[in-house]
Amino acid sequence: MRHRVSNSIIPLIIGMMLTSQSASAQTVVRQHRAEEIGFPDLEFEPPTVEEHEVAGVTVLLLEDRTLPLATIYVRLNGGYGLFSRDVYAAVSALPSLIRFGGTDSLAPDSVDKVLEYYAIQTSFGSSGEAVTATANALVQHFPIAIDLLGTLLTEPAFDSNEVEVWRGRQIESVLRRTDDPVRLAYSEFNRLLYGDHSIGWEMNEADLEPRDLSREKLLEAHSRIVCRDNLILGLAGDVNWSEVEHLVEELVDRIKPCSVALPESPIPTIRDEPGIYLIEKKVDQSVIVMAHATDLNLSDDPSYFSATIGNSILGGGGFSSRILSRIRTEEGFAYSAASLWTIPRRYPGLLGAVTSTSPDNAVPAIKAILETMQELVDSPPQSSEVSTAVDAVVNGFVFNFETSSQILSRMMFYLSTDLPRDWLERYLAGVQGVSASSVHRAFSEHMQPEEMMVLIVGNSELMGQELLATLGPVTIMREGEFH
Amino acid sequence: MRAIRGISVILFALLTSFLSLKAQQTPGEILPVRQITLDNGMRLVILQRPGPPTISFTVQFNVGGVNERLGTTGIAHLLEHMLFKGTTSVGTRNLEAELELYPWMDSAHDSLVEARARGDSVRTLELSERIAQLEDSAAVFIESNEFDHILTQAGARGLNATTTNESTVYFVDLPANRAELWFALEADRMLNPVFREFYSERDVVAEERRMRVEMSPVGALAEAHLASAFSVHPYGVPVVGYMADLQVMSRQNVERYYRLYYGPNNAIVGIVGDLDPDQIEAWAREYFAPIPKAEIPPAVTAVEPPQEGERRTELEFDAQPQLQIGWHVPAGTDPDAPSLAILSSILTGGRTSRLYRRLVLESRVATSVFSSLGPGMRYPQLLQISATPRAPHTTIQIEELIYEELELLIQEGPSDSELQRVRNQISAGTVRRIQSNIGLAFQLVESVALFNDWRETFRYSNKLRAVTADDVIRMAKTYLNRSNRTVTTLVKTEYPG
Repeated sequence: MRHRVSNSIIPLIIGMMLTSQSASAQTVVRQHRAEEIGFPDLEFEPPTVEEHEVAGVTVLLLEDRTLPLATIYVRLNGGYGLFSRDVYAAVSALPSLIRFGGTDSLAPDSVDKVLEYYAIQTSFGSSGEAVTATANALVQHFPIAIDLLGTLLTEPAFDSNEVEVWRGRQIESVLRRTDDPVRLAYSEFNRLLYGDHSIGWEMNEADLEPRDLSREKLLEAHSRIVCRDNLILGLAGDVNWSEVEHLVEELVDRIKPCSVALPESPIPTIRDEPGIYLIEKKVDQSVIVMAHATDLNLSDDPSYFSATIGNSILGGGGFSSRILSRIRTEEGFAYSAASLWTIPRRYPGLLGAVTSTSPDNAVPAIKAILETMQELVDSPPQSSEVSTAVDAVVNGFVFNFETSSQILSRMMFYLSTDLPRDWLERYLAGVQGVSASSVHRAFSEHMQPEEMMVLIVGNSELMGQELLATLGPVTIMREGEFH
Repeated sequence: MRAIRGISVILFALLTSFLSLKAQQTPGEILPVRQITLDNGMRLVILQRPGPPTISFTVQFNVGGVNERLGTTGIAHLLEHMLFKGTTSVGTRNLEAELELYPWMDSAHDSLVEARARGDSVRTLELSERIAQLEDSAAVFIESNEFDHILTQAGARGLNATTTNESTVYFVDLPANRAELWFALEADRMLNPVFREFYSERDVVAEERRMRVEMSPVGALAEAHLASAFSVHPYGVPVVGYMADLQVMSRQNVERYYRLYYGPNNAIVGIVGDLDPDQIEAWAREYFAPIPKAEIPPAVTAVEPPQEGERRTELEFDAQPQLQIGWHVPAGTDPDAPSLAILSSILTGGRTSRLYRRLVLESRVATSVFSSLGPGMRYPQLLQISATPRAPHTTIQIEELIYEELELLIQEGPSDSELQRVRNQISAGTVRRIQSNIGLAFQLVESVALFNDWRETFRYSNKLRAVTADDVIRMAKTYLNRSNRTVTTLVKTEYPG
């Protein structure tokens, strides 16, 4: 049973150090009503992000004089999800090999020595749709950091030893993929639902032949992604525009315009075959992932805001959400349990849940999650649940401005995904318009517990094969079987 | 071309000269920190910092895995979970009705433990069902997760806690205008906790153990390694507890433990953010000062005897091989600690470190190598190296190369440039370490716990900078020898057929 959620707090009694057993003998020292504690208004002016343009490239600047540090953020639209599988390895390797593969003028260990000598921190990463890089340095070394970052980005040498180190690490990772049941569950679930779309790809040895990481392939990937039309820059820290303008101009000048525009990312087709999918593994805990597709998109629309608040109530809001309350607090089935509702900008997302539990609790836990979902399809949430979820967003809004990195990364994401620059403010306004009935509508329209595809990694003998069959048709999956 | 020339100049500088660094006040030492001690012994460190109007709060109790005994391992961590269950006024709809049920529940649990020990499975099942029924009855009177709910609604972020071998820390970030709410809730939690939903939460902790240890090759290896390295000291016992102990832990065990270790004189509070120090101090005195002082908790008396010969352990697991090597070294407060930290950094700190170069880049026998000092700070600990082999290479090959590199380091010592690299990283690190409010709060509180002085954590940087090549050689010679080491290897389980 779901307990009523109340925001009232009965008087807090502060007495002698007592435990529950001795509560009746407590000595009252003072009394407080926490709910009567007044909260002054929060005076807060969000920091201003300057926007500049250099040779057609948008450059964001956030001055922050707190510490003598500065960071440059590079976002290059273009990730493995935009290209065909035959360049999957090359595009995936690109950020790492830009950082570690040396340059035309510097051997890999020379790059390391310079970075370590000046204590410049770098990070290079990629997603399906973008490559990112940052360099953070003490402000007196910031020009060196930008200069070196420019060299890394524009003059990659793709040192053969570093390529081989990267390839070997990936092959080892392939070998170890089944070591961790959680990783195995997530990757196989993606493969099951997304098939041959890039979201469903998992690197394997066939992707990692030496020819897949040839210099030609790496240079081709580099030329498609590391070019000016794909670039957005951000700078934050103990610097102002006049101090960095010339550094940015030099950097942008070194990154040449793109010769070929990026392709559109393909729209995935999500498998719709409800049932239980089992991967046998002799482990003492079953990993459970379930979801089905939804056609809701990220946009300035009431249904989007209702879905985000709804997800918070369902299982995205930690201990204030229904799934964790039911699975962890009430039943003691699991340490963690949560819902997921991915709402991409352009294509369908997923609505579902994840948890891990002991084998004998696997079937009861799945049933409890499905019941919890069905309750929200059948009836609207309590208005107090909605207000808790909305208050958490509104009262905690200031945490969106805690670090300059957070602010700039967010703005750069908005720019690259064509969201309005004031999206965060629109989101704040949007969630405040959400009601219990609009959340109910979102769930009624988009959530179908009986349509869930449920993947389990675990030991079916311990879970009970007959018990599993009560959930629906059981398909035994072997790794990599579903494309 | 400008870039290439610029970098060449840098490399030249690297080879011929070094940054002038001298012992001086670190950026951390000049922070306007206020340290106060209340009459009941509670210590607080308060730091006002410019930035958005948010405040980070931490409370550290000096209790963790080292304060446990066999039979009740995991109790400090389970208690941490229980302190989110509310109080006599938060989390209940009818306190009296709720409390009446707990003695029945506990009595049933005691009988269950006895029945299980006797092997009486019928009685065990009956009593399990009885406890579940009583918990269902109590649930009617409980407002589950209300403590969390109040803070979530107030806009809190990162509400959580962590239990280590030596301490338990509760932490949360709040919008600055909600600071008084934290004092009210935290003081109430220190005085009037109610350990409701105990048996279901104990099951949750058992699931946490399964997730972190029994399902995780890294977690299982770490547990086996510490158990092998420490035969007497409780560093060898897992903080999450053994499953057998978790299954018999009672509410009374946890309550006794709470009374013993959760007095204000065993607590240190850290508050960092956009705050008014005078107002924060006033609230601290208003809410925390009335909490009565408790007895001083018992000291940890176990001392690990010197290791008399190499220990080797194999752990079979359904996963690819891993290697962990540990050498006994002094506590983190020992004068040798800075030299050991530098030694660790020279071995594996970054891509130019000795072991990374040798194992990952040159011989390509491993995909990663790391080192660390732990698992705690307060007692003699381990310098540990862990490595992941790259198939078809073996952990034995990795071991041989590690020992070769250690021998080389002892013979030739670290170069000036190696030491300078580490010192420069320390200098930048002293600035980076003070970027986050919550990170600072943790750091200040731990410094007070170890040295009763918040500045000491920052002075440590100067001690690191003062380490010489001879110090590093001495550490390697003294500690990194065969008879002092424990080697634990994870090997893949071979299933028949």
